[in-house]
Amino acid sequence: MSQPERRRHFLKAGSIAAAAGLVGNWMRSDAAAQAPARTSHPPVRDEYDGFSRFKPSRGNDPDSDYYLGKMIPGFRSTADGPAPLEAPDLERLPWKMVRGAKEFHLVPMAVEREFLPGYKMNVYGFNGSMPGPTIEVTQGDRVRIVVTNELPEQTTTHWHGFELPVQYDGSETLTQNPIEPGASFVYEFDVHEEGTYFYHSHVPMQEAFGSVGWFIVHPKKVFDPPVDRDFGLIFQNFFIDSNQNIADSWQMDWNWHTINGRSGPYTTPLVVKHGERVRVRIMDFSPMQHHPVHLHGHTFWVTGHEGARIPKSAWVPRNTELIGIAQATDFEFIANNPGDWMFHCHMVHHMMNHMTRQVGPRIRQDSSVDSYLANLASRPAVDAVRTDPGFATPGYPQEMKSMKMPEAMMKTIWNRREVQGMRATWPMSVMGLMTTLRVLPDDLYHRVMETDAEIPPGSIFEEIVNRFGNPADYQPAKMGGMPGMKM
Amino acid sequence: MKRSFARSKLLAAVVLVVGGTHASAQDLSIRQDSMGNSAGRHVLPPRDLPPLPEMPSGFIDNDLAAADSSPHAIASYTLDELLCLAAANNPTIRQARLQIGGETAKALQAGLYPNPVLMYVGEKINSDGTAGEFQGFEVQQRFVTAHKLQLSRLKYCQRARVSEHLAVAQQFRVSNDIQRHFYQVLAAMERVNLQSELLKTAEDGSVTSRELYNQGQTNLPGIHRANVELQQRRLALLNAQNEFAEAFRQLTSIVGCTLPMGRVEGSLRPDETIPSFETVYAGLIQDSPEVLAARAKLVADQTTLQRESVQWVPDIVVTGGPGYNFTNNDPVYNAAVQMELPIYDRNQGTILQARRDLQRQQAEIHRVELQLRERLAMAYRMYATALQHATEYERVIIPEREVAYRELLEGYRDNRVDWPDVLHAQGEYFAARLQQVDQFRDVRIQEVMIDGFLLEGGLMAAKGPTPPGHIDAVAKPR
Repeated sequence: MSQPERRRHFLKAGSIAAAAGLVGNWMRSDAAAQAPARTSHPPVRDEYDGFSRFKPSRGNDPDSDYYLGKMIPGFRSTADGPAPLEAPDLERLPWKMVRGAKEFHLVPMAVEREFLPGYKMNVYGFNGSMPGPTIEVTQGDRVRIVVTNELPEQTTTHWHGFELPVQYDGSETLTQNPIEPGASFVYEFDVHEEGTYFYHSHVPMQEAFGSVGWFIVHPKKVFDPPVDRDFGLIFQNFFIDSNQNIADSWQMDWNWHTINGRSGPYTTPLVVKHGERVRVRIMDFSPMQHHPVHLHGHTFWVTGHEGARIPKSAWVPRNTELIGIAQATDFEFIANNPGDWMFHCHMVHHMMNHMTRQVGPRIRQDSSVDSYLANLASRPAVDAVRTDPGFATPGYPQEMKSMKMPEAMMKTIWNRREVQGMRATWPMSVMGLMTTLRVLPDDLYHRVMETDAEIPPGSIFEEIVNRFGNPADYQPAKMGGMPGMKM
Repeated sequence: MKRSFARSKLLAAVVLVVGGTHASAQDLSIRQDSMGNSAGRHVLPPRDLPPLPEMPSGFIDNDLAAADSSPHAIASYTLDELLCLAAANNPTIRQARLQIGGETAKALQAGLYPNPVLMYVGEKINSDGTAGEFQGFEVQQRFVTAHKLQLSRLKYCQRARVSEHLAVAQQFRVSNDIQRHFYQVLAAMERVNLQSELLKTAEDGSVTSRELYNQGQTNLPGIHRANVELQQRRLALLNAQNEFAEAFRQLTSIVGCTLPMGRVEGSLRPDETIPSFETVYAGLIQDSPEVLAARAKLVADQTTLQRESVQWVPDIVVTGGPGYNFTNNDPVYNAAVQMELPIYDRNQGTILQARRDLQRQQAEIHRVELQLRERLAMAYRMYATALQHATEYERVIIPEREVAYRELLEGYRDNRVDWPDVLHAQGEYFAARLQQVDQFRDVRIQEVMIDGFLLEGGLMAAKGPTPPGHIDAVAKPR
């Protein structure tokens, strides 16, 4: 019996047991009503109306609730409450209950954020992070957020999308006096909304400099169908000049792209288990750029925007969703296709950072910048012969001939459990506003995410190919073949 | 094509002369062939791309070409060698020595005692039908009074001393010119090197423009512009080579003999700075050969006045000798003593002229001192400006340009910078070094001038001790 089969067998047995439990509860209806089995999982199946949670499929009927996995539940029970938000590479903002309100402390400040290993950029954020830490509450909570300004200039904080008393809206000078450097302001309001929200400075240049963070409100009544994973990704753009590390918020162009403050391939993959129901919340906080976000290998349902959850009748299946500035979109899908899948903005120039023209030694044979650096007093003579046959083709080269990745940079990129076992060359293609969705069978997920086992590059991917693909056609990545990346 | 090839060889010549960056320029013709004609395969659509401009042609400096034909025989010269050669061969140094000899000769002549005059005298011939009352020989001797001859000799000896100072000045003129042209040659060599670097950058710019063209990032006008910049750089290199040839030829002219074209060995960077203006000026007033000559000339003029002041003192001319009186048929003797009576001409005009000359020379000393101050002011300003620039280029501007260039190279290596930006920074770096060469050259030249009493003109005829219209218009030295 193969691993997926064993897993499915196990899940099937679990479903039968759960169904038996329901029957028993029905038989004892009073007891069930008084003491619901909150920790028991609802019955989940491998297949609903022709849609399989374990292999690519659509279902038998577009009008079915289960078409494209629309209403297929995750393994998590609604009774267990909403899945906590996972915002890769961001912290959750702690709170304390004070006088009947969840009290948060938020500190706008200048921060340094490592967009790529070794590329530490100066931006603004909150509590030492850009984007700021995630505020996570439940619908109906009263929140008190003490904002202490550690910026050298005035600021206010806006709670984007909340229907709150106007004096706490955070619109600088319209609704409140700016918070002076070193001073604090207390925002306090009841949260009756649910869904995807965020907070940000209401000084435009500070916004362009990165001052933003998640404000997730989980519903009192857990959304149905329940999801196993709830990810949050904030997409941002910055202009940072060549050989600079200070963002230029005045620019009208943008050459660095981050997801939760990191650029591909330093973005942390979303690692899920095969068959899980996954929600991904994406918010575009770019100053001037919309993002058509595309997920490979899956079709997702658009289930909500930053304003509210969308009634199921209006959910839309998509592969690519255009997310506008200051907009958020919630995707949901069943991770039924194992592998490492690209998840990225489809704007070509967003799939790389700080683009440069592909001319000069980079595209010349037997020419290296190192030879120029070796002796600045006298530069090497130019080699104008250019025997590269590609130059017979107008337009060559379009492939970005790219930077070398230093060993330390590679080590940092690989030194994360989330990327273990991916193909050896994966960092060459995940750049800029890109990340990956890793759908792993249970055992591989366990090996990658829950052990410290050494996992050779490519091994997990190859195992997935062996189990779900066609190994005969698979060519492993060239080991050591990491000539560069496009950034 | 022959001319083009020859020109490219010429282009390489000075690079050979100065050593170093030979490869770029020499390979250019090869690369040009490669770009236009790459083994039957078109690198880019030939109908679209204008070819690289041909090498500049039309004139060949044969000496540079000859240096290229025998690169192993290229001579090298040190400053000391050149100064020694100049000492032996520069004609003005010999002229200056001869000026001293001329004055010494005048001193010899002016002090010579007057010769006695031997006369045959026949007086009263046919008196009483005789041969005369006196037929005989007389000797006449002028006795010079008032130490006129000693004063005359002293005067010309003092003028010989003036000539000695002027000869020293002439040596400084030659030495200064040798050094100035030496540093010109040295700078020209470095300029050729740096222009070669800038040419390589322009070559790269041309290649880069073709790469940009192939990617649709520039158009044909962009290629044409790159061709123009390339050709201008080639011309700039040729200009630097011509400047080198000019400087070397000027140097050998001052040396005074023909030397095969070669390199000079030395450093453009000064070892130490000169003292303050007033200190330098005080040194000039004290030691400048021009001032010393003027002061010596004043002494000579004082002697001239003294000499002219005694000119009116009459010499005594004694005449006498034996003869025969044919009227009396007896031996007789004649004797006479004569002297000029200074009734009208007491040499008062010449004395006055000498006095005026003396006064003029006193003003001349002041004039020379002031002129030195004026010349020093300009030299000092040029020295200070050049040194300030060279120092700051050395301390700040070149390092900053270099760091910017390096950072852009590193940025390019990290894929953060466009190559044209790197080329621009590279050009700025080499251009700044080129400017620095000129600054150090100017520092050295002004340093030589200030240390060398501001004297120049190593091929100007050596000066005599007296200005035109002087009292020496008198024919007989006195």
